[in-house]
Amino acid sequence: MNSIIIVQMAVSGALMGLVYALIAYGFQLTYATSKSINFGQGELVMLSAFFSLTLLDAGLPYWLMVPGGLLFGAMMGLVVERACVRLSLEQKSEGWILLTIIFGLLSFSAAENIWGRDDRPFPSPISADAFNVFGISITPLELSVAIGVFAVMGLIELFKHKTLLGKAFEAVSADRDAAELMGISATRTIMLSFGLSGMVAAMAGILISPITTVGPTMASALILKAFSVAVVAGLDSGFGVVLIGIALGALESLTSFYLGSGWREAPGLILLIMALALRPNGVFGKANIRKV
Amino acid sequence: MLKRLLLLRGTELVALVLLASIPLVVNNSYALGLLTLLTIYGILLIGLDVTVGYLGQVNLAQAAFLGLGAYAAGLSVTVLGFGIPAALGVSMLIGLVMGALLAFPALRLEGPQFALATLSFSALCTTVLNEWESLTGGAQGLSLSRPAMLGHAMKASGFYWLCLVLLALVWMAMRNLLSSQWGRAFEALRDSPIATDAMGVGTFRHKVAGFALGSSLGGLAGGLYAFNFEYLQPQTFNYDMMVVLLLGVVLGGRKSLWGAFFGASLIVLLPNLLSSRLLFEIISGLGFLLAVVAGGRGLLKKTTQPFQAIAPVVAMGILVAGGFMVENTENWRKAIFALMLFSVVVGLPDGIMGFAAQYLARLFGIKSAALPAASMLDDVLPANTRDLGVLLELKNLKRYFGGVKAVDGVSISIQKGHVHGLIGPNGSGKSTVVNVISGLYAPTSGEVLLLGKPLPAGSLFSVARAGVSRTFQNLQLFGELSALDNVMLALKDAYRIPVLLVLLGFSRAEDRRAQAEALALLELAGLADQARVRAKDLTYGSQRFLEIARALARKPELLILDEPAAGLAHPDVAVLVEMIRTIKRRGITTILIEHHMDVVSKLCDQVTVVDGGQVIARGTPDEVNRDPQVIKAYLGVVPDEIIPA
Repeated sequence: MNSIIIVQMAVSGALMGLVYALIAYGFQLTYATSKSINFGQGELVMLSAFFSLTLLDAGLPYWLMVPGGLLFGAMMGLVVERACVRLSLEQKSEGWILLTIIFGLLSFSAAENIWGRDDRPFPSPISADAFNVFGISITPLELSVAIGVFAVMGLIELFKHKTLLGKAFEAVSADRDAAELMGISATRTIMLSFGLSGMVAAMAGILISPITTVGPTMASALILKAFSVAVVAGLDSGFGVVLIGIALGALESLTSFYLGSGWREAPGLILLIMALALRPNGVFGKANIRKV
Repeated sequence: MLKRLLLLRGTELVALVLLASIPLVVNNSYALGLLTLLTIYGILLIGLDVTVGYLGQVNLAQAAFLGLGAYAAGLSVTVLGFGIPAALGVSMLIGLVMGALLAFPALRLEGPQFALATLSFSALCTTVLNEWESLTGGAQGLSLSRPAMLGHAMKASGFYWLCLVLLALVWMAMRNLLSSQWGRAFEALRDSPIATDAMGVGTFRHKVAGFALGSSLGGLAGGLYAFNFEYLQPQTFNYDMMVVLLLGVVLGGRKSLWGAFFGASLIVLLPNLLSSRLLFEIISGLGFLLAVVAGGRGLLKKTTQPFQAIAPVVAMGILVAGGFMVENTENWRKAIFALMLFSVVVGLPDGIMGFAAQYLARLFGIKSAALPAASMLDDVLPANTRDLGVLLELKNLKRYFGGVKAVDGVSISIQKGHVHGLIGPNGSGKSTVVNVISGLYAPTSGEVLLLGKPLPAGSLFSVARAGVSRTFQNLQLFGELSALDNVMLALKDAYRIPVLLVLLGFSRAEDRRAQAEALALLELAGLADQARVRAKDLTYGSQRFLEIARALARKPELLILDEPAAGLAHPDVAVLVEMIRTIKRRGITTILIEHHMDVVSKLCDQVTVVDGGQVIARGTPDEVNRDPQVIKAYLGVVPDEIIPA
């Protein structure tokens, strides 16, 4: 009996972990092109979720809301790139860390005042009635999260490998200067990566909100775990985030079961610090040679 | 000189006296509370400025150290029954130890990874303080009462004076420390960790020390915080507070004690300013005007990019417009912080104090402190031409990168006092050879012997300490430091005073001597009149010469010059040749990597030619010039008849 509960906890946790993996994947997209990430990405997830909820409240059907929410996320991603990242990259400074933190703060405050401080339910046409697989109950809603995560990541990977624009993306990731010499605009490619990253964040918000509800504080809960997944897997690890995301989700769920829900953040944080100390490039990342 | 001292120290003294006398004149417990908080935040921000300003890292853990210090003091009093001094000592110690512990894993990290490590640490601290209910009381909070000190009950004004005295002490100690070798090292490792190691200064120890120091001040501030509020809750020390602290440091001005103080006043006063609508309108209006003026000036003078000028104006414009639209500005507190912080980060990177300091210095005509007379070069670099024999020996040295054999079995022996040329086509492995010698890479196999003893493998720092000094093909100067500071930082055996005495201000004499020695080396490089110029503002040629002067400050047994003439204009090459001749007369053994054959011919006693990671020729410059293998390596296959006999 007990072992069934453990497996149940692990599976539910792992499905949540996929959402962390999706947000971490959004970090990878921008890190690849510009070596920068949006520290306000959690707020971006939250803003997109609130915006999508507003679309639903305005009477838009669910399946039309999704592209609307994604578009909003992509546009916010572009705003982050223009307002917080581009100048620092031009100056080769790390000012973007502070500026994206500021973006998060502004978004948080705006959301608090526009949509209120309370958590709100997020309707979804997908059923939350569980069915049993080998004694473990899974809801179609949870399954839709998994499908959504893999669909988005798969489509973006397909785009990167099959289209010309995608190739440009890969080229800038590999060597920005060389790509520019070949006539690829690095600035546009970085914009593209931030747009995609914002879209991925919006998708994460739409997928997870029916399960967790929407509220201003959802940002901080998600972002730390997404950071953990991204760093532990490595910021250039590709699908490595999926494995780490699943593992961390399961671990976190078990921790909160055994030690109490107050500790559920702890394993991710400890893993993140340990990973940074022992393998700064992540479990699946590649080490760089120092050059002078 | 006297004027400078009078103005700088005088302002500090006047400020201190003013602050100290306020409770005597004004009897208002609310104002006194604000003042106490101001001193506490002052200490906290001075600590944060070490990492954010000097080390140049985004540190998101200072709020956590405030919390740890506060709980440490609180528990010392409630559980252990300590008095105020002992409890504050515990707070500082906790900050110091936890800071050092966090610094170790965070040590290898830069930029975003460092920010993430500190962010995780903060979140972890909040979790532990919240969940360890048996000790901290968890979310219920921890109550304590301020114990008596020296037999007297601590009243509000007495406690304020205690905080003020501590702030003054911290201020003086940090001023001493940051103007010493330690402060230079903190800044250097922000600009170039590689050069910091290669100059024997040590990235490791200074990063840990800087971070631990900043954290211990955070702990001390935490202890005072606990005694001020007499009630603690874990949620206080969260991410929001951290952002507010960053706001204080950045807005006030990085790398400035006054900036930290200004930032602290701002943090303390801001909630009050926001609660009054009129004050808010005035402040946002002033901010908007400042943004317009500063941005407009920058655009006219073409010193700033359009985005840098326009974005703050837009942000402050939103602030002003928003002020009219929303009902309650208090609710939008974070958004207001965000907009102000954004404008400052983009538009005034040096913060308000950085901006004001330049202006004030010009207004009062304050000049930099005068420099001492340069030492004699003979004292700084004693000529040593007596010793003979082998200085450096490479035995079958190999270094592979994956499948690439960059260096594949190189053996060289270098005589004392020689200038030894190392030449070869691009990609032949010469840079890798010197990178292995200087410790940037560990060899895959083979030996490097200096005076018969093996050099440490794979550590720039240890190799530098063993007497090898180098320059870099791609310059690795400390750009934000002056030319003088660049050389002073590298000076060998110049700093012996232990850190505790440095804090007390006993390093001035030592620093004067170092200045004199560094000036002698700058004279050698022809840069004596540009001693106070920031390295990144020097011309390209001067930067190359500065790197050589800095390498000489190590007083090395072996000097490695990695393509010193690369990119130099013709007249500068002549200066360089003269400079290397002077160095040679001092008896310093030099390895010279160079592509200019005329430079090599003029200077080198012996030349080794490498190609494909192997030695293909060695001898005097003339011999090597005629070697058919060498000609083939440089020019491709050449018909027999045109090879000179």
